[in-house]
Amino acid sequence: MGVLILISQPLIYLIIRASEKSGSDIVALLTRQKTFEVLGLTLALLCIVVFTNVFLGTAIAAGLHYVRIPYPRALFVATIVPLAIPSYVFTYTWIALIPSLQGLWAAAFILVLSTMPYMLLAVSISFARIDSGLIEVARSLGLSKFAVFTRVILPQVRRSISAGALLSGLYVLSDFGAVSLLNVETLTVSIQNLFKSSYDRSAAAVIGLLLFLAAALFVSLESLVKGRDFESRGAEGFAQRIRRVNNLPLSILTTTVLALYSLLAVVLPFYVLISRYLQNPSAVAPSDLATAALSTISVAAMGAFIAFLLSLPLAFLITQGASAFASVSEKVTLMAHALPGVVVGLALVSFGSRLGPLYQSVFLLAFAYAVLFLAKSVASTSAALALVSPQLKEVAATLGKSKSSVTMQVVFPIALPNLALGVLLVFLTAMKELPATLMLRPTGMDTLATEIWSFAAISRFNEAAPYALLLVLIAAIPTFILTIPRTAKNEIANSENEKKVSIST
Amino acid sequence: MTSLSVSHLTVNFGSRTVISDLSFELRQGEIASLLGPSGCGKTTLLRAIAGLIQPTSGAIRFGSQLVGVSSVVLPPHKRGTGYVPQQGALFPHLTVAKNIAFGLDRNSHTKSEIAAITQEMLGLIGMKGMEERLPSQLSGGQQTRVALARALAIKPKLILLDEPFSALDAVLRDELRTEVVGLLRELGSTAILVTHDREEALVSSDRVILMRDGKVAQNGTPEEVYEAPISPEIAASTGDVLILPAQQSNTGATFYPLSREGAGSVGSETGYVVIRPEEIRVSTNADAGAEGTLIHIDYYGHDAMLTVSVAQSVTPIKARVAGPADFTVGQKVYLQHLGPVRYFSRQ
Repeated sequence: MGVLILISQPLIYLIIRASEKSGSDIVALLTRQKTFEVLGLTLALLCIVVFTNVFLGTAIAAGLHYVRIPYPRALFVATIVPLAIPSYVFTYTWIALIPSLQGLWAAAFILVLSTMPYMLLAVSISFARIDSGLIEVARSLGLSKFAVFTRVILPQVRRSISAGALLSGLYVLSDFGAVSLLNVETLTVSIQNLFKSSYDRSAAAVIGLLLFLAAALFVSLESLVKGRDFESRGAEGFAQRIRRVNNLPLSILTTTVLALYSLLAVVLPFYVLISRYLQNPSAVAPSDLATAALSTISVAAMGAFIAFLLSLPLAFLITQGASAFASVSEKVTLMAHALPGVVVGLALVSFGSRLGPLYQSVFLLAFAYAVLFLAKSVASTSAALALVSPQLKEVAATLGKSKSSVTMQVVFPIALPNLALGVLLVFLTAMKELPATLMLRPTGMDTLATEIWSFAAISRFNEAAPYALLLVLIAAIPTFILTIPRTAKNEIANSENEKKVSIST
Repeated sequence: MTSLSVSHLTVNFGSRTVISDLSFELRQGEIASLLGPSGCGKTTLLRAIAGLIQPTSGAIRFGSQLVGVSSVVLPPHKRGTGYVPQQGALFPHLTVAKNIAFGLDRNSHTKSEIAAITQEMLGLIGMKGMEERLPSQLSGGQQTRVALARALAIKPKLILLDEPFSALDAVLRDELRTEVVGLLRELGSTAILVTHDREEALVSSDRVILMRDGKVAQNGTPEEVYEAPISPEIAASTGDVLILPAQQSNTGATFYPLSREGAGSVGSETGYVVIRPEEIRVSTNADAGAEGTLIHIDYYGHDAMLTVSVAQSVTPIKARVAGPADFTVGQKVYLQHLGPVRYFSRQ
């Protein structure tokens, strides 16, 4: 329960802060021309990116799985690599290439490049889970290949498409780096401007609440359209490889699209980073680079660890069954997912000034990371715990182990690799975080993200390059872990057992 | 090892009654099979005995000790039941030896005692030398053996086996079942085996408890439940049956299609006769029994099931003959019922 209060703290603080303004001031702020423009721009950007992702992303993922293409594995990895590149690094490399780049369409282009992997990953996982037996049965019942795709495959990946849309949409709503470098004033940029230029924190809080509302609305919209959850049970024992469509024009088209995407989202950014770095390798002193890397790693690690500790009780509740409390807290953490970094940053800045020594401390920044990425952490922690079959816990109980020994001797050892993976993911996401870091970092502390941003903002691309290269290389580690196919047979067998137990009781 | 008594046990899941007022007893060293269709409450009963779920009412006793009532008396980790779930559920992060030793308390056993028990168990299941393997490196049969050893290592009061052989293929299943049951008898274990395989229930236990809708439908030795079923449905759950309409006279004589007294008159049947197909003798001699035409043969190798159409019965008669069966479809055969007449009045 305490955890829930902790998560909702920033929101409550925003409301208090916003209510310091008089009602008429709030109405005036919300109804002025500028606010409508900003809101309209934000929603337009959201729609363009999400729709492009839904259609193009699903098509690309389908091509990756069902069309005969050369080196499918390498092409898949290439489409996932952009996950490691934060949007502000993308933007900066593209501005270095085309200095005049700016505006809504440029922002949409950059954000599609950087969010596409979320869609591809989500949809690919469900494509890979589909039982090839179902496809064979559908074919034998007289469905054409196209009908199989629309009537058998698509309905099964619908939830994943929806989840991918949710992730990319929230990314767009909370993005600060790309839009600000491209001079597109969305809600996040507007909040940062209000906060910085006038120190009118109440006005920033009002717009912050507006942004949170937009995000919350988007999350609830997604839960409306995602449809029913049905289990797609894979073939037991023998998972057959899906036969790829062997059609030359389709293969050429798919390969071209994939190659083009890799060129725009991987090859060109890396080319810019490396060439800029080589132009002047000594633009940044190694000691500066090391200091920034060290502070990035330490504060991100602290944040990931706090998030993990906060997620444990919730994750235990969620995995122990669908009690009312667990489902409520699950929704709250989903809402926390909708809290953009700017909003959390803003709330904690206002909150922090009352905390005395904590204000502008590393701890407050780490706590901001923990709040920001708690949803991610709860999701990965509960997924890791859920993989431990309840049967194993029961067997351990009949062998004389108390609840706490079962947790220590069975649950944690089995869940450990996945728990660690979850912490690692949060850690690396926190390393890339920009807006909250800009607001909350202690005076004089520079992280890789803030250095990249400040150098890129004043077009000093050579200086930004080494920081960006380092960040992207570190952030690429979990991306590669994510693309390793899961071969842990035990986990699959255990989750099968789980279903059987729930059926037989 | 201990005796077991379950009395008036009821288990509700929400508003659904899964086990209702169920009672039975097991002597020390007795092996019982719980047989019934899926969803009849077998696994729930087993889990209630192990303490994994809480009964709504009723009592469970190990010997004279009360272990479970609606307010749990002993949690699962204090009951000392050896539980072997479906497919073994070995701890994937532990070796075979550590799996077997998992339940051995380090406070009451020295290291060398634990090692000795582990070796003894490995010998018992014939897997010496495999102690360092991980479960993922074992075959299905080996996993089941290790799960059994792990349960036996704690010297349990009672062994509970929940369809432990169901994931194995037929040949291995028969071998392993014989082996495991032999082992349990050697150790004098009191054990409950949940199964939905009727042959498995008959061949491996001293007592068969037939479950239907959360209740005990019949409880007896394998011979009793097979030879003297209490209803036609129960008869069908332990083996193939032939259910024929029958008429019983006031004097107690039973008339049915294959009876010596001849069939009852159509429309005046008062009940049914339940016949096992192996109780019917099939002959090609015209002097033996009711005449019929062989209309179908199901050939199983070791035996064959013949379907015969006879004038006295609307339902074709099924008869089992030992293989190799020298019959051809269309030939005339003569049928005689040799077994006991099991009459059930209609209602």
